[in-house]
Amino acid sequence: MTWRVFAAVFVSWVLAWAAPAAQTTPTKNPLEGNPDAILAGMGGYRVRCADCHGLDGRGVRGPDITQVWNAGRTDDGLFKTIRSGVTGSEMPAFAAPRTSDRDLWQMLAYLKTLAAPAPAAPVRGNAENGAKVFRTLCAACHKVDSTGGRLGPDLSRIGSARSREVLLARIRRGSEDFRAGFAPVTVTTPEGASIQGVKKNEDLFSVQIMDTRERIQGYEKDKVKAVENGRTSAMPVFGPDRLSDSDLDDLLRYLLTLRGFDPTVKQQ
Amino acid sequence: MRILQVSAFCVLLAAVAIAQQAPPGLVSIQEVAQGLPADGSRWLTFGGNYANHRHSPLTEITPDNVTRLQPLWTFQTATLGNFETTSLVRDNVLYVTGPQNLAWAIDARTGRQIWRYRRELPSNLTACCGLVNRGFGVLGDKLFMTTLDAHLIALDMKTGAVVWDTTLDDYKVGHSSTIAPLVVKDKVIVGAAGGEYGIRAFIDAYDAATGKRAWRFYTVPAPGEPGNDTWAGDSWKTGGASVWVTGAYDPEQNLLLYGIGNPGPDYHSESRKGDNLYSNSLVALDADTGKLKWHYQFTPHDVHDWDATEVPILADLPIGGQTRKVVMFANRNGFYYTLDRTNGKLIVGKPFVTTTWAKEIGADGRPVLIAGHTPDEKGEVTCPDLTGGTNFWQPSFDPSTRTFFVNAREVCMTFISWKPEYKAGERYTGGAGQRVRESESPAWGALRAIDPATGNRKWEFKFLSPSTSGILTTASGLLFSGDADGNLLALDSRSGKLLWRYQLGAPLHGTSPTTYMIDGRQHLLVPSGTTLTAWALK
Repeated sequence: MTWRVFAAVFVSWVLAWAAPAAQTTPTKNPLEGNPDAILAGMGGYRVRCADCHGLDGRGVRGPDITQVWNAGRTDDGLFKTIRSGVTGSEMPAFAAPRTSDRDLWQMLAYLKTLAAPAPAAPVRGNAENGAKVFRTLCAACHKVDSTGGRLGPDLSRIGSARSREVLLARIRRGSEDFRAGFAPVTVTTPEGASIQGVKKNEDLFSVQIMDTRERIQGYEKDKVKAVENGRTSAMPVFGPDRLSDSDLDDLLRYLLTLRGFDPTVKQQ
Repeated sequence: MRILQVSAFCVLLAAVAIAQQAPPGLVSIQEVAQGLPADGSRWLTFGGNYANHRHSPLTEITPDNVTRLQPLWTFQTATLGNFETTSLVRDNVLYVTGPQNLAWAIDARTGRQIWRYRRELPSNLTACCGLVNRGFGVLGDKLFMTTLDAHLIALDMKTGAVVWDTTLDDYKVGHSSTIAPLVVKDKVIVGAAGGEYGIRAFIDAYDAATGKRAWRFYTVPAPGEPGNDTWAGDSWKTGGASVWVTGAYDPEQNLLLYGIGNPGPDYHSESRKGDNLYSNSLVALDADTGKLKWHYQFTPHDVHDWDATEVPILADLPIGGQTRKVVMFANRNGFYYTLDRTNGKLIVGKPFVTTTWAKEIGADGRPVLIAGHTPDEKGEVTCPDLTGGTNFWQPSFDPSTRTFFVNAREVCMTFISWKPEYKAGERYTGGAGQRVRESESPAWGALRAIDPATGNRKWEFKFLSPSTSGILTTASGLLFSGDADGNLLALDSRSGKLLWRYQLGAPLHGTSPTTYMIDGRQHLLVPSGTTLTAWALK
């Protein structure tokens, strides 16, 4: 082989590696319904995802992901979300080569078996009025798209994170499970004044809270009279006396539109 | 003329050398075997001594003056990952291994680096549980270090240069090594990690001078070897039983005592019927040959990932009117054990945390099981969780009060299992666990002082959440440890009373403070997160 021939072969070899055929992600899960893939995906899901999303997919620290297809997400969109993570959240990227494309499709094949059926009842409520209800009852503590209070969790993405049923139960019946950073706490000062708020951090010797005036402050336990954990959430229960069934429908309809993005814009 | 100049330089050097204090010679095996000397001049093996007491004879820092501790210097690794190392010290120099296959020699007076060693990690590394390392071994002028890509290397103590490099096994199929080598006589004892990858693990001994392998003890017996019949079919081939925490050495019996990890796959019972020896066992090996002398299996046929890779501690204790040669062991399965180390027979077996899977340890040494604790696809709740009642973080033993100290966890978990498929180099666990919700079963922890003659608790210091810190005790009655929130704690080792604390910014994880003398002052060295901090009295 002359050096020219060798060079030509080498260059074509380099080009072949440098410019592989463009890879495209299938729009539909190629492994959906495949029993082997579902079993493998169950393993992958339980090891990688269940800690945050729960064994049943209904959410622990992370969102309920049994509703994602009902919420309009697509197979390829979910694939990209898992591959790239969610910026600004705790959802990490599951990158190659440690997590292969096949691993991701297998996990989605399993997740599809956990997916909630499409709601049989027609969608109820008026989102526009729901937004007004939200501003009246909820916005003092909850932020949506940079407007609202800070005492409760930011709800800008709640529509893609929680189902209607979960939200309804939370509003009507309250909860004894607290998201990290939102557990109720009362600090009693040496003078006997009570400071109520939500707990941001704690160790044996100190507690860091946001009080109801949204002041963030740390307190050393040996310098205050008492630090008491609340047993029920700082969020009040909204029974029918405070929120009518009709307004609740409207509020839920509004909350389910909150997906952290404009649904009229096609997701990449 | 040039010859004259060189000669003059040599004469000058010789004069300077005479004027300076003579440096100590090579590290002798007698020094290593001596453990922690009264003058505090060195810490040369993982647990301080071969018995793993992690108990210092130093008394300058006391319960009365510990509040006067002040930081002297801080050393940062400048890399990702946390310290899990026990640093060695000799002649005012620290020898420290870190995450990501890094290691340093550090001036113990100032915290300044003398040399740094770095080994490039393969891109396809499969180490399961953190890119960590638990410390050096030392002999002569060599430091010994295991690597994440399953090598054992010897470094020149003065330069950090590689003297020899031996492959333990193939990292591509899941072998790795994080254990601190134990140096016994002329051998370096290490083990293979990778129990979550279906490896067949082992304990190895290598010649300290050359790196040549002297013997290997497979922790999963092959067909024809005793114990192979405790593995159904071919399940022994992927049996795991890894070795990643340094054991103890009993010079009198010439016995190595090592805790062995979980069987593979971790959670799926049907994949490996039988007791699965020597997983979840303490094995006693002849240090010269690696031959098994006895074993004690804490958790036969484990299905909860309860590696017995905790630190064994040796002592001679008065029990029942006679002096017994014992090994003490707080196990991940939630039971504390005192065993006769001459034969592996049970003396004490008692829960030190809430345990729901076994009623007690029977007279035959086997746990008396409670039904309903084999994971399946639906899941079952068991206490303790997979991380266990305790784990690889080091306990301590104070011989003067005959007290065993351990950081204990009170956590329950839903275990689930499914049939896994073995693929070389991929995870092979067949299950997972999920913590029970806080509202149903809060997770907490406590540092507990245990009487090894009875298994009874002497005192406890409660934590809001479980600590993963090791423990150091001193002859002045101090106990140093940490909580999960980054607090360095000093307790009175006789009462458990809190004496002093400092917020480090990162918890001690899988390692403890150590202590030694520099220029006549007692130093406390604290590894936490990516930082080493040295302390002494004001």
